[in-house]
Order: sequence, then structure tokens, then C-alpha cells
Amino acid sequence: MITVHANFHSHFKELASTGEASFQIETPTVEALAESICEAYGPKMEAMLIDPDTHELNERGTMFVDAKGMRISMGDQLSDGDTITFLVGIAGG
Amino acid sequence: MESRLLRVDLTTGKMRSEVIPHSVFERWIGGSGINNWIMWEHFLTHDINCDPRGPDNIFVFGVGPLAGTGAGSGIKGRITFKSPCYNMFGDSAGGGKFPYMLRFTAFEYIAITGKSPKPVYLHICNDEVSLVDASHLWGRDTLETHTMLREELGTYPSHAHTLSISQAGENQVGIASVVSDALRIHARCGGGAVMGSKNLKAIAVQGNGGLKIQMPEEMLAWSDDFRQKIDENEAVYGFKRRGTLGAVEMYQHIGSHFWRNNQGNMFRGGEITSDNWVKKYHKYSEVCSSDCFIACDAKYKIDGTESEAAKKYIGETFRRPEYLTTGSAAGALDVRDWSEVAHWGKITNDYGIDNQDLSCAISFLMELKQRDLISDSDVAELFDREQSLRWGNMDDIEFCVESIVFQKNLFGKIFGDGPYLGAIRYSELKGQNFMKYATYGKGGASFTEEMRPFPTWMNNMAVASRGADHLKGIGLIEKFQRKDLSKIYFDGRTEAADLSVPTLKGASTALIENQVALLNSYGVCLFHWMLDPAGYTPQDYYGKAYAAATGIDRTPDELMLDGARICNLEKAFNSRIGMRREHDTVCERWMWEPTDEGMYPGSVAAEMFNPVLDEYYEWRGWDKDSGLQTRKSLEDVGLGDVADVLENEGSLA
Repeated sequence: MITVHANFHSHFKELASTGEASFQIETPTVEALAESICEAYGPKMEAMLIDPDTHELNERGTMFVDAKGMRISMGDQLSDGDTITFLVGIAGG
Repeated sequence: MESRLLRVDLTTGKMRSEVIPHSVFERWIGGSGINNWIMWEHFLTHDINCDPRGPDNIFVFGVGPLAGTGAGSGIKGRITFKSPCYNMFGDSAGGGKFPYMLRFTAFEYIAITGKSPKPVYLHICNDEVSLVDASHLWGRDTLETHTMLREELGTYPSHAHTLSISQAGENQVGIASVVSDALRIHARCGGGAVMGSKNLKAIAVQGNGGLKIQMPEEMLAWSDDFRQKIDENEAVYGFKRRGTLGAVEMYQHIGSHFWRNNQGNMFRGGEITSDNWVKKYHKYSEVCSSDCFIACDAKYKIDGTESEAAKKYIGETFRRPEYLTTGSAAGALDVRDWSEVAHWGKITNDYGIDNQDLSCAISFLMELKQRDLISDSDVAELFDREQSLRWGNMDDIEFCVESIVFQKNLFGKIFGDGPYLGAIRYSELKGQNFMKYATYGKGGASFTEEMRPFPTWMNNMAVASRGADHLKGIGLIEKFQRKDLSKIYFDGRTEAADLSVPTLKGASTALIENQVALLNSYGVCLFHWMLDPAGYTPQDYYGKAYAAATGIDRTPDELMLDGARICNLEKAFNSRIGMRREHDTVCERWMWEPTDEGMYPGSVAAEMFNPVLDEYYEWRGWDKDSGLQTRKSLEDVGLGDVADVLENEGSLA
């Protein structure tokens, strides 16, 4: 069992009604974290987080990064104490 | 598919209507593609090295064939001209209802040359056109001009929609812009100065004609599918609420803002560093451009309770700031109060002036002052008064804006063409080299975003046909690290999404430039494209809508070739005026000065700049040494006639 911290921004923050949360997951993967988040916050969060066609993380209009600013994918491994940040992917304007 | 072009010679007052035949759409798609061709043909018979503020320059407005059809993602009109501030190819997109209404008159394209002996506005009412005395509008800002024109032109056959300039355009300030319906700005490149140099205060259109769609049932089916796709993506609801302001928190997290003339890349201050204020202060929403299913726009109205500074602006109402309005104020100038950021957006719109050029010019000078490179007396020399040039001082900033708009003083005269020429002129004036503090690419003002960790974006700044630009080749693959897109576009390879290597970054620029050229030629907004650039490909998905509207049914490969043709014509324009590889470069700060904050510290452009640029030329088929096009590269995209012109002038590799 590991603990992973999630930082939610913008639309993610609205869907979660909080900017931060911690999750205890048995399998140290992004997939397990995503499942926990969807379970905690319901179908709208799931629609934002998971691509229904590929069951991968939804990459359309989103940006999920680890502490080094690298985008994470469903199969990535996580370690105890990791922080993942959930952002909307918009540029310019 | 055919359309009509209105040609206006302001010197003689003569106007004539021309048919744009189907063959031109076959070659140039529409919108920006056709605008480019109209300008290219003009400069085959006029001196391309003319003074952009002289009567030989041309000002083209055009609207693409998907605009107003229900294609569902917002309309963009486009202005095209030789840029007076950067002295190269110039163009700019803008939304609102002006382009929509133009399609309901007899015309979709307008080409204006010459110079009127007195201030006029062009009035188009269905198929009737006239030049009308504008002396009562001269000296007015864009809001006043729009309001007065709406009142005097009445409501039949429709309300008037306008394109106008402010005092900045009248004064031929190089970075003056053109504003649609007093709300939506065609910034970049100085179209307002071109209108002003022609004594053209405004264009007003009224119409109640219809649109001809070649295959209406197919178009309706496409629009339904598009709306369904949009609605199914939960991310859209975040987009609807925030528009481009959604970038604030992402940029704050990764370090992609442009703080104090890009000395840093994070906003400072409390509330402004997040997007909480979107919900708090943006009072109501409205549809952004006509036909848009996303509708990311909203308005604010300041009631004075928001902050101490807000008391100065009680009652002020306008569109909420876009990201780059926020980036230029909260970032470049370090303004930390939300109401002052909003006010910055309002005044730069009403004065019709580019807030990217402005903020880069003002912050350049603020940095010189911060570093004690200039004294109080140097500042007084520029402004004819004491001026603190303190970061974030909105009263001082507003005086800087007015100095440029009204050409009040030496500062206004030196920096009226933006930060690049301003920094050169000021360095010459003071006998010191200040260029290391100027932020620009290819002579154009920086977009107020951090570029250094992102090699594709940096390459875009160096090669964009209108100078420093992310909108010509917007680097979504790289900035969002989209390996999925990299695989789709580059045969399963993922390097385009990897920030740590130069590979496929130049290729990404070339590929995305072609796609963006298509979207701009269709006449739709780019914004929705960030949601799903793979699903909404301009060459495939949007190609079907284009076929329904025009009857021109192309394969995706053929459309990509069309996009490449449009980009190559813009390149050829700049080659004719002498631009070569050495012009495809960026400023010293980006090239050599490492970032010291954000998630990608230590980034400098120099690490990858040349390999990326080389790869870009390779993908374009251009000569890497000179940067010039080859005959083969032009013939491959059906531009043998353009190659002939370049060869005759010694501008072909």
C-alpha cells in the first residue's frame, strides 16, 4: 500500500471540490490511482480522466504531470509519497 | 464554389466587384489562403519593397468558406498586408460578428489600395458600396467609432458590424491593430497603421443575404456530429468556463508564464496566480464568435468591491481577459490586481493596439530601469515627465500606452513599432547595446509566454512568417507531451512529444503550420482544436465540412498539400523582401540565458536551436544554408509560377 498525493487545478478542482487529496493504493500504478480518483469523485471526473475508447488517460484538453513536469501514462509506476498534478491543457490565446 | 471580391482604390475612389472563380478556391482553399494570393498578385505589379505605410501597400480582408455555415467552432476573419512594424508579411485573425455579416452581403473578400485624400469609412450594404466621409469619427477610439456607426447606419437591412481603428491607427503607430465590433482585436503586425495610412477609419457592413452551401444536408450532419463530439468531452466544460484562461494554472505549475520581461516564468502575487477569479468576477457569458458551440467568452463588470485598485474602475465592463492579455499584464508587467489586468485588456482593445508588443516594449524599459542601466533623467527624456517605471504600477503603464497611441513623446516614437525596433533605436540613441534585454523572434514581439523549455515553440518563434508566433504552428504535441499525437503524425515515433531531444521538433512545426494554414483558410477558430487535434484534423475531419460547403472534395493528403502551398507563399513573400536564414532567429535572452525557475530550469534555446531549424528546412525541402526555397520544393506544392518570380529576383536557392 502506498500513498499518492493529487493536486487538482481548474476544472479538475471543480469536479473534486478540492485542490488536494491523498489516495492509498495497493498497486503502485497510475491506473490504480486513476481508479481511486474516479471512485471518489464520480462519473464526471471519470469522463474527464479516462478516454472511453482506449481506456487510457484522456489526453484531449488535459495535462497530468509528475513532480518533474513529465506527462504520466496509465502504465507508469508510482512510489510512496509521489505527487501527481492534474491540469487542463490549454495554450496561448 | 465562387465568391466576390470588392476592390477599392482609395486614391481615385473607384470600386469594382470581381468574381473569385472556383479555380482559386481549388488552389487556395479560402480565407487566409485567398488573402495571401490577392496580396501576392498585387505585389507582382507593385514594389514589394514599398513603404508599408505608403499607398502601394494593400489591405485585404477575407472570410473563409466555413464561416457562418454552422460548422460550429467560431468564425475568424483575416486581414492581410505588408507589416509596417516588422516590414514583412503581415496578417491577423479576429472573431466577432463582422466576418459573419460580411458573408451576408455580396462580398467575402475586400482588397483596399491607394490613399484617400481625406478620412473615410467604407460602407457595404448588401451589394451597394460607398466611401463615406469619416471626419466626425477621426480622433475617436474603436468603441466610440463602433457606437457612432451603429447609430448612424440604423438597423436595416441589419445592424451594422464594424472593423475600425483608433487614434493609434490614425497616427500610423506600427503596432496599431484593427478591432471588430469594438470587441475583438485583429492584433499583431500593425494592420491598424495600414488602415490609418490610407485614411480609412472603418469598414461597416450590413446585409441580409443568404449563404450558398453546396451540400447542405452533409453540412448539417457534420455539424451535428461535431456538436456531439464536443458535448461528449468533459474537458469542454472547463473550456467553456475559462476559455484560454485555463492556461493560467497550468503555466503557473510548469513555469510557462513570462514574468517581468521573461526574467522569470511564474506569476507573483496572490489571487492572480490561479484562476479562482474567473468564477468570482466574470459575471455572465455570451457566445464568443457567431456559430461557436464552445462559447468560451464572458464579460466582467467591475463594482469596486473586488479590491482597492478596482475602485478606480467602477462600472467598467468588457470581455474578460484572454490568457495573453493576462500574461502580458500579470506576467510581463507584473500587475497583480485582477481589476487592473482587466482594465489593461479594455484599454488596449479600445485603443486598438497590440498588447503583446506593448507589454514587451514597456517591460524592456522597466528592466533597464530595474538594473539601473538608465537613470531618472533618461526616463524623463523619454516621457517629458517623471515616470517611475516601477513594475506593476498601472498608472505609469497606462501613461506608457497613451504615449505610444498618441505619439506623445520620444518613448512613443521610439517604441511605436514594438520592442525589437524600439530596442535597436534606443540602443543607438544612448550609444549602448541593450539588445540582450529585448524579447523577440524574427523581429516580432514575443508572445508573453516562456519559450525556452519548448523547442518546437522556440522554432515557431524563429520561422513564423509574421514574426514570433505560436499561432502559425502551435506546438501542442510538445508542450502537452502528447505521445499519442506524435505516434499518429510520425509513423509510431514518440520523439515529437519528448522535450529532451531536438528530433521531430522542426518536423512538428512544418506539419502543424500546414494544418493551421488550413483552419485559417476555412475561416474557423483554432481554440477548439486543442481539445482533440487528432479527432478534428483539418485535413480529414474538417475536410469533410469544407467539401460540404464548397463541393471541393479533397483527400487528406491533398489538403495537407494545400496547407503547405499556403505556407510556402507566405515564405516566398518574405524571401522577396530579402529575408534569409539569418532572420529565422530569436533573441539573446532565449538563446543564451537559462531559465532559473519552473519545472524545466536551466533551459536555453541554443541547446537545440540549430538542429531543430535544420530539420524544419529539411521537412520543407528548403535550402538549409540560405533558408531559401528550392524550385523543387515549390513545384512539389504546385507553385512553379512562384518559383519563376523568385528566380528572376535572385530569391530562389
